[in-house]
Formats: sequence, structure tokens, C-alpha cells
Amino acid sequence: MSVLDALQATLADEHAALYTYGVLGARTSQATSPALFETLTAGYRRHRARRDQLRLMVRDVGGDPVAAEAAYDLDGTLLRPPQLERAAADLEAASVEVLLALVARSSGSVREWALTEATWSAVWQLQLGGGAATWPGAPELDLP
Amino acid sequence: MPGRPLTRRTTVGAALVSPLVVTACDIDPPSRDSGAAAPTAPPPEDSELVAGVVAALVRARAVVEAATLSQPDLTALLTPVATAHAAHLEVLSGAVADADVPAPAPPTIAAGPARALGAVRRSEQRLLREVRRGCLDAASGDLARVLASMAASTAQHGAALADLPAGGEPS
Repeated sequence: MSVLDALQATLADEHAALYTYGVLGARTSQATSPALFETLTAGYRRHRARRDQLRLMVRDVGGDPVAAEAAYDLDGTLLRPPQLERAAADLEAASVEVLLALVARSSGSVREWALTEATWSAVWQLQLGGGAATWPGAPELDLP
Repeated sequence: MPGRPLTRRTTVGAALVSPLVVTACDIDPPSRDSGAAAPTAPPPEDSELVAGVVAALVRARAVVEAATLSQPDLTALLTPVATAHAAHLEVLSGAVADADVPAPAPPTIAAGPARALGAVRRSEQRLLREVRRGCLDAASGDLARVLASMAASTAQHGAALADLPAGGEPS
């Protein structure tokens, strides 16, 4: 897989993440769950900036940025705040995994950007009720 | 899109010990100047890089051990950090000759839980910088991915400790 392929895969994942954050935010009441609403809004903004940056990076290496799907499947029932928070934490965990794949396939400024974003997603999981892990984004290393 | 599955004990060893294997690996990174080019052979300096990260991990582990000995009440709080250090060292130390693994003098931890926790926080921040640098400098893409996961873990543990009040008791 080339760095362009990895960038496109990361961009495709960001399209799905933005869609998911949009749904999670729409199902969160700013009045009754202000902290969660604020956390989801901040996450949405970070992923939007990430998507825009990825589009530029894809063009920089001569690619045509992959477009978003019309809609994405969301797993499970997402109605209560704990479910919404958990879904966002799972999304960030998945983002770390995708970004680590980009780290492996890139170098220089692209790798540095992917590492920074992976670290942000890992730490943001704590804001979403998650805990610190030993191998975020590399679950196979947790195996004995 | 998960990365290619890696086994715990072979990842780094394969990247450092078998350069020809890694040269042929389809996930090795492109050259540094272009950001997108053909795979390159990993230069031998990755061994030095891994030794540096191992030294940083050993230093950080010593600080956690000293803090726990000095303030036993912090044991529960610091056990996850110590567990992560041990797992990270297990993966990396196999790629470093025993003679290269440092044995630092036990650090001195100031009295009081707040100061002990402060020492661990600073030590983890230093470790994060070292692991990040190693990730960015690694010639092997596999190694960079392992170090990126370590950096993410270190940042998570650091953030968890930073969220605690000065006395170290979870709010």
C-alpha cells in the first residue's frame, strides 16, 4: 500500500467519523447534557479539520480525494447519553488504529501529522469516559 | 483500516534484525524527503533509536517505582502506568543487547504525594517526547507504528494523571 492509498483510507474513515459525530450530536440535548454536547462538538470540529487537511495531503501527493458516502451504518441503538458517549469513544479508538496505519506507511510531515492526530484521538477517549490503554490503535500487541 | 497484524515478539525484532525482510515489506515507509516514494531499506540507526527509547522507558519505570515506594498510597494510581511501561519494554528490549539496557540510579522523590505525583507527570512527559522523536525518526514503518502506539498510551496515562487534583486522589 502506498502513502496515497493510506491517506485515502484515512480520509474515507474521516468521512464516516464526521457523519457519525453529526448523528451523535443531533441526538444529544445541549440543555440536558451540556458537557457531552460540548465534547461531541469539539470532536466534530477536530475531525472536520482533519478531513480538510487530509484532502490537501491527498492532492499534494497527486491524488483525487475520495468522496464521502451518502450515509453510513451506525451500530446499535444510540439514544441515551452513555450510549452516545460510548459510540464516540469507540469512534476515536478506531481513528487511532487508522492513523497508526498511516504512520507506518508515511514519513516526514505526513507521519508527524498522523502521530499528532492519533495521540489526540487516544487522549480524547478519556474525555468520553474511556480509560488509558497499553497499546491504543495496535490491539494485536495486547495478545500474549 | 487496521494496520497489518503484528505479533508482540516479532515486530521490532524483524524490523531490526532482518533488514532484507523489511526491505521487501509492503508497508515500509517511503523516503523522508518526498513523503511518497518507493520503500527504502532500514538503516542501522534504528537499533540506536530503539536503545534510546528503551533507556527512556527504564528511566520512567524507575521514577514510578521510586514514587510508589515513597508514597504507597499512590500504588493503585500508578499501577496502570507501570503495567504499560513493562509491556512496552517487553516488546522493545528484545531488540536491544543487554549491555545497552541502562540501569539508572534510583531517582530521588520529594516527600509528599503531590510532589511524587508531580515527578511522575514530568517523567511521563519526558518519555512522551522521547517516544515521539523515535517514531518520527524510525526508518521502519512497523517500528514507527509500535512507537506511535506507545506515544498514544503514554499520552493517555499522562492525561489521566494530569486530571487528578494535586493530592493525587481521584475526584
